[in-house]
Amino acid sequence: MSNNNAQRTVTVRIQRFNPDTDKKPYMQDYQVEMKPGMTVLDALHEIKTHQDGTVTYRRSCRHAICGSCAMHINGRNTLACNTPLKNEVTHKNTVTIGPLPYLPVIKDMVVDRTTFWEEYLRVKPWLIPPDDIPEKEFRMSQDEVKALHDAETCIMCGACYSSCAVIGLNKKYIGPHALLKSFMRVLDPRDSSPAERLEEVSGADGVYRCHTIFNCIDACPKGLNPTQAIETLRKLAQKRQKLEEARRERQKHLNEPIPA
Amino acid sequence: MPNSEVITHDVIIVGAGLAGSWAAMATAQQGVKDVGVLSKIHPLRSHSGAAQGGIAAALNNVRPVPGTGPRGPLEQIPVGDELVDSTELHMFDTIKGSDWLGDQNAIEIMVNDAIDVIYEYEHMGCVFSRTPDGRIAQRRFGGHSAPRANYAADRTGHVLLHTIHEQALYHGVKFYAEWYVMDLIVEDNAVRGVVAIDVLTGKIHLLRAKAVMFGTGGYGRAFKITSNAYANTGDGVAIAYDAGVPLMDMEFVQFHPTGLYQHGILMSEACRGEGGYLINKNGERFMEKYAPDKMELAPRDLVSRSEQTEIDEGRGVMDDGQGIFLDMRHLGREKILERLPQVRDIAIDFVHVDPIDDPVPIQPTAHYSMGGIPTDVHGQVIADASGTPVVGFYAAGEAACVSVHGANRLGTNSLLEASVFGRRAGYAIAEFIKGGAKLLPVTGDPAERSRQAVKELLDNPGTELVEDIAQELKANMTMNCGIFRDEERLNIALDKVHELQQRFKNARVMDKGSRFNTDLLATLEAKHLLTFSEVIVKGALNRTESRGAHSRTDHPKRDDEDWLKHTIAHKGEDGRPQFSYKDVTLYWDRFPPQERKY
Repeated sequence: MSNNNAQRTVTVRIQRFNPDTDKKPYMQDYQVEMKPGMTVLDALHEIKTHQDGTVTYRRSCRHAICGSCAMHINGRNTLACNTPLKNEVTHKNTVTIGPLPYLPVIKDMVVDRTTFWEEYLRVKPWLIPPDDIPEKEFRMSQDEVKALHDAETCIMCGACYSSCAVIGLNKKYIGPHALLKSFMRVLDPRDSSPAERLEEVSGADGVYRCHTIFNCIDACPKGLNPTQAIETLRKLAQKRQKLEEARRERQKHLNEPIPA
Repeated sequence: MPNSEVITHDVIIVGAGLAGSWAAMATAQQGVKDVGVLSKIHPLRSHSGAAQGGIAAALNNVRPVPGTGPRGPLEQIPVGDELVDSTELHMFDTIKGSDWLGDQNAIEIMVNDAIDVIYEYEHMGCVFSRTPDGRIAQRRFGGHSAPRANYAADRTGHVLLHTIHEQALYHGVKFYAEWYVMDLIVEDNAVRGVVAIDVLTGKIHLLRAKAVMFGTGGYGRAFKITSNAYANTGDGVAIAYDAGVPLMDMEFVQFHPTGLYQHGILMSEACRGEGGYLINKNGERFMEKYAPDKMELAPRDLVSRSEQTEIDEGRGVMDDGQGIFLDMRHLGREKILERLPQVRDIAIDFVHVDPIDDPVPIQPTAHYSMGGIPTDVHGQVIADASGTPVVGFYAAGEAACVSVHGANRLGTNSLLEASVFGRRAGYAIAEFIKGGAKLLPVTGDPAERSRQAVKELLDNPGTELVEDIAQELKANMTMNCGIFRDEERLNIALDKVHELQQRFKNARVMDKGSRFNTDLLATLEAKHLLTFSEVIVKGALNRTESRGAHSRTDHPKRDDEDWLKHTIAHKGEDGRPQFSYKDVTLYWDRFPPQERKY
């Protein structure tokens, strides 16, 4: 390996806030020796374990599947664990880290995701299956599975939710994460209640609130496109009875092989 | 000092991965609705979600194209054609994989329940990949002699975890996200409840219950290079042990052959299941030497030892010679994008290698804990080698040891075990409650004891950083209690663990506050690592044979005469582990021990 990753010291500027002791958030600088391959999460870990144990953030898997460590890094929402530190160091040799915006801060980078999970529950994330359960699996085509691919990749990290300008103004909005989940159920041939789901998401707090600003797409660390899912839901909401009929028809054949 | 309320549920479950969530869901489904699940992280952050390659069950959906041999391309089995797989075969593969240390009655239950549990996942909305005719897609995995890894691309654990969490919510299970359990209350061999910190407030509560179940996961974080999440600190295992419950077969730790070089992050076994090669610095597919039949799809213990041998003999790759190449280029762009998208992202993100264009540097990584809290096939925890139950206490998943994996687990059997035995524990708990289980009284104030313990930690003016102690432990475990072990190194390892246990008394918690104190949690976790590492090392020292993942260079042969038995460790009066042994359940007529060759 070449030597272009030679160690140097960078400034990690962290937004600190503990509501028990601080009147308002403030910035605190830490110096970290940047090692080859270091991620932003590695830098935070170094600070927390060797310099200041009060610096607080969530983390677990460290490879972008658990969704714990979404935070605001140099002005954008992303995961700390798969963001290389060296890509984030500015010309002033600094990386700036804070909590996800628009959410109450519990401590430092730890935010209160209560409304986020409430909206997730609101769209009934579970499948509502048909009455007739086969002995083996329901048959689904590869294309039907592919249509759900994006939505099932979502790790519920909240990066999209807290980048959404509508959420910034109105916490009653269902939000991109939950709408993406709803999309996944609405499109699943095994789900029996697409019309009811569409009715829920096309109400006052639902898909029509989206201003298609695309922040959620930019923020998503998994490269997903909630805006497109929301637009699909809008279109389907217009013809939900038709979809419901098509679904009932499809469900008559859920136990049969997909034709070649 | 009543500064916190006492919380009461019929059932308390600790851990919200597949095992815990299945147990919670199944209990509620059976009509016992008062279920509380405590998890130190949000349920959807659980490490079950990181599992990639698949979940085993002999569904018989695919087979090698006839005439192409056992490693040929796969196709869906036409309706009415001869089947290639069976539960019997799955059972044999698992027993052989376990190096005959797995209990065959438990393995039989697992492979039979497997089929039903996969269909239940599917009926609950899990989005599996599919064959052209719409059945669940299957791929090959190491040590399995038929393609029986049912998968959802390379994020199988993720979709299973989300599905079961949704179902638990649907059934009205109450979740306590970010509650950290500190203590298990057992009196007169019957469970009474737990003590837990509400992480948000820092308040410590007593939670009383008629039944408690642990699905707290594995202990891979005791090692330096590991695929495990930060969270996998074996808390449940250590807490149970401290409460007088034994641990079983703790010396068996699986090293996965393909952790990302220097990071340890998992590159799914599906990479090899789909046809990837392992290459040394001379460009040789060295598995030819070690497992000429199964090659890269030999079981993990064997492949990891082969890699380590190549590395030790100077045929490793990268500057320090500590790597091996995982070569997937011949699979082609399309297959990699369709079947292994997450794996590709991981390689790009962390070692800046795109597997489509270049081989990926990997190395063995501590991955799975075969040992844990001993249970029967209903998840009922047992107190000793004769199987006396700890009344009201259940465990399942990686925290438990049934034992289906014995000395070495096969890939895709972990998601299966967590699901099957999580569900079985749920059914057993529901029956226990419906059978009239009582809320048993608690002596004294266990929450106050935990408050005192926390206060002592916070007030300790110590000079040692917790992280330094933890790092030294991990380096020690990897170096001296890793893939290859011998008496000399294990003695060094044990001395080191004892030294670090002493030094921990001088540990300093930097964050003195009560709100979301993750510094305190990391300290408690480090204490747990030190607790069970002693049991791992001592168990490994005692076991003077090589079996599965436990490989003693000074005792290179399996010794069925003396060691065809489970290790049981209790915490003794002096705080040191006391060992006894338990017979393995074997069906001598069907699956007698054989030489293990691949």
